[in-house]
Amino acid sequence: MTKVEDLTVRLGAAAGDGIQSAGEILARILSRSGIYIYTYNGNQSVVRGGHVWFHIHAGNKPVYSMGYGIDYLVAFTQQSMDEHASEVNKGGAIIYDSSSVKPANIPEGIKAVPAELANIALKYDKYPIMKNTVSLGILAALMGIDFKIVEETIHTQFGKKKEDVALRNIQAATEGYQIGSKQERGKELTYDYSRRLPFLHSNYSFSLGAVAAGCRFYAAYPMTPASPIVHWLANHAEELGITVFLAEDEISAINAIIGASYAGARAMAGTSGGGFALMQEALGEAAMTETPIVVVDVMRAGPSTGLPTKTGQGDLNMMLGLSQDDFPRVIVAPVNANDAYSMAIRSFDISDRYQVPVIVLMDFAIGDGAYITITEDFSPAEINRGKLALQASGDMLNGTWFRRYQLTEDGVSPRSIPGTPGLMYVAKTDEHDEFGHDVSDVLAGLKSALKTREQMYEKRMKKLDYIRKEMRPPAVFGPSRVDLTLITWGSSANPAREAIERLRGKGISVNSYEFTDIFPLNQEVEGMLKQAGRLADLEGNYTGQFANYLRRETGVMIKDRMLKYNGEPIYPAEVENFVMKVLGKEVR
Amino acid sequence: MINLKEFESDVRPDWCPGCGDFGVLAALKDALVSLKIPPYNTVVVSGIGCSSNLPGYIRTYGFHGLHGRPVPVALGVKNSNPELTVIVTAGDGDEYGIGFNHVVHAARRNDNITVIVMDNLIYGLTTGQLSPTSREGQVTKTTPDGSVYRPLNPLSAIMGVGGTFVSRGFSGQPKHLSWIIQEAIKHRGFALVDVISPCVTWFDIYDEVKKQVFKLEDAGHNPSDMEKALQMAQTDKGLPIGIFYRREDVPSFQEMLQQQIGKNPPSKGVKTLDKDKIEQLKYEYS
Repeated sequence: MTKVEDLTVRLGAAAGDGIQSAGEILARILSRSGIYIYTYNGNQSVVRGGHVWFHIHAGNKPVYSMGYGIDYLVAFTQQSMDEHASEVNKGGAIIYDSSSVKPANIPEGIKAVPAELANIALKYDKYPIMKNTVSLGILAALMGIDFKIVEETIHTQFGKKKEDVALRNIQAATEGYQIGSKQERGKELTYDYSRRLPFLHSNYSFSLGAVAAGCRFYAAYPMTPASPIVHWLANHAEELGITVFLAEDEISAINAIIGASYAGARAMAGTSGGGFALMQEALGEAAMTETPIVVVDVMRAGPSTGLPTKTGQGDLNMMLGLSQDDFPRVIVAPVNANDAYSMAIRSFDISDRYQVPVIVLMDFAIGDGAYITITEDFSPAEINRGKLALQASGDMLNGTWFRRYQLTEDGVSPRSIPGTPGLMYVAKTDEHDEFGHDVSDVLAGLKSALKTREQMYEKRMKKLDYIRKEMRPPAVFGPSRVDLTLITWGSSANPAREAIERLRGKGISVNSYEFTDIFPLNQEVEGMLKQAGRLADLEGNYTGQFANYLRRETGVMIKDRMLKYNGEPIYPAEVENFVMKVLGKEVR
Repeated sequence: MINLKEFESDVRPDWCPGCGDFGVLAALKDALVSLKIPPYNTVVVSGIGCSSNLPGYIRTYGFHGLHGRPVPVALGVKNSNPELTVIVTAGDGDEYGIGFNHVVHAARRNDNITVIVMDNLIYGLTTGQLSPTSREGQVTKTTPDGSVYRPLNPLSAIMGVGGTFVSRGFSGQPKHLSWIIQEAIKHRGFALVDVISPCVTWFDIYDEVKKQVFKLEDAGHNPSDMEKALQMAQTDKGLPIGIFYRREDVPSFQEMLQQQIGKNPPSKGVKTLDKDKIEQLKYEYS
């Protein structure tokens, strides 16, 4: 037995073997033992077969990312053994299904735990699916987890309705636990069974935040890895009164939420990069008609179909350069499920108060299957719908159009909601005057129309000057006096956090600037970057889209960049090596 | 008291003199007045093109959106507030070309909206290109040697995908058209009103249509008979107008949704979650 501060578990199998739910059960067992977790779903775009894996990083203190190597590998297939055995840390263990897997390339100092997982499972069911449960029993024993927690978790998993299934799973787990108990215990954490920690992935916590913010209309077309948002909302639709509209395509989805918002609802759409590409024209439509909407892009590795089940941060350029000409938009990128909740509430708030589209960038590394322990307090939302015209004055009831696009100091005009007498107007994608009348057709090019065009353009764009003041500068993670500052945005903050803590242990002082408010940039950012010491960029795309954007906006060029585009999440060990290289230190 | 004056806009239509769309505008106003629907409870949603300029010419709530996308905007409005009367006014390019996919799916879901398509068999505003309903052999700027594209038959298409109200009117008969629009608005679910609304500049077929047109009611057509309706939609013996097909026994998509989530539509005030509910959902997976 070795007490550790954190450890990792990886389950490897074929698609259809059920390791995602096995991974989720393990995450639950750990969370009910007071342990902090981060998980990653290494899945493939196949329904059956192939090679899929589920990774769990668990710690006595909060963890954010993949951790270091693998401490416990469970290999259900030969491919899992072959692919991952070399990544297992010293003092680790490999549990494998000895009825089908040969113990190949097991490095020295690693314990092999063979067990006939599938055959044992067949004692309890006609299909070998419970091999997962057997392996969880073995893992729990090796990790020194009280079996009572395993039992309780299985009960919760299957509920009262499937008591028989729960009991058979408990028997399978018990047999696994007995096998594990015969072995010498391996790495283990310090468990606190009185504490149950919550966990969510960012798709779920963002959905929860959206509903907390009063979003009652969601439209989407299925696209990995954004689909868990529609699953979550559909599962809670009846309970929470949410209208979920599964559209015929993403163009329909975004136009439907624009219609819903125009009619008074808080509305949202979600997709991944390819679907967002289809939505682009309508983002301009929302900005031009000044209709508030929130759109989520859970990024995956592109371009085009790219790697549909793998991660990346390559959609930033699309968001910065959305569709035709200039129009106001807001781009935010939460770090993980912890801030995704409040980011959802902020997104609806900003969108309503400024009547602009808000774009939220998340990705696979924090989305579908990437659970993290929630340490943040999730507070109820305070609702501010912005400038609304609720009632017409007497003269408005006699044949005049509502001055929907009234020129104002901050560019935001009072908005009326259909159904309100006397405040009729036409929301316009054509350039228009304050009353929503076209200046695009019979007035186009006339002197009066030129003036109107300029005023309306300025009206829309100056919202950004006000929004800028509300955007947050990056949070600083780590000490203030450092040898190097890592620039991260959205999810790339997570591996940086783990690397920074490890480097601190080695006496190397690094911090990170975690950007979540991407566009428009807070006005302090330029000063922060210029006053910082050495900078290095960390992001998940080929060209360094965020670093290039920072250069354009601030003139600060970041030369050292760690850019990852192979579809895998950024590992803290890679960040550590990158930092050592940048600082000219030897990598051990 | 709802009267025509309430729907009057101070914006003058920029359509060519003699354009069919004037007749459609008049018929729509007449229909809304006849049904006593107040302007503030009406939302007219359009796409891009001559006909899609209509919302500014009738003083109701309006949304002048993107080319081909008024149907999803309209169903978003309707889902958000089912009490509103939601009408799409667009052209054949919008609804049978770039946005046809949305029409098909709105029809099969039975979204409770009325879609009025001002069908002139040509792209007018972009100065005369071939449209999805242009005829074989039709000479346009894009088909100088005559079109070799087979035209879409929107009526049989929408009947084929499960449309529950399929009709055609003629802009030259606004009273008859007003009746069709009234029936379409009253219909439980998705209603297609295809309107032959000739373009006097690029493809003037007024005289021809006037000669060929006849009313289905006069021909004793029974709109519950789909087989006959399909025959009528495809006939080359004259140009039938009226209600081709109609059934009222299919619940609208909005009715179905309300059965699931209750009668508290999304637009009726923002409903937040309290701390206990948030905590419960936060712990849902652990």
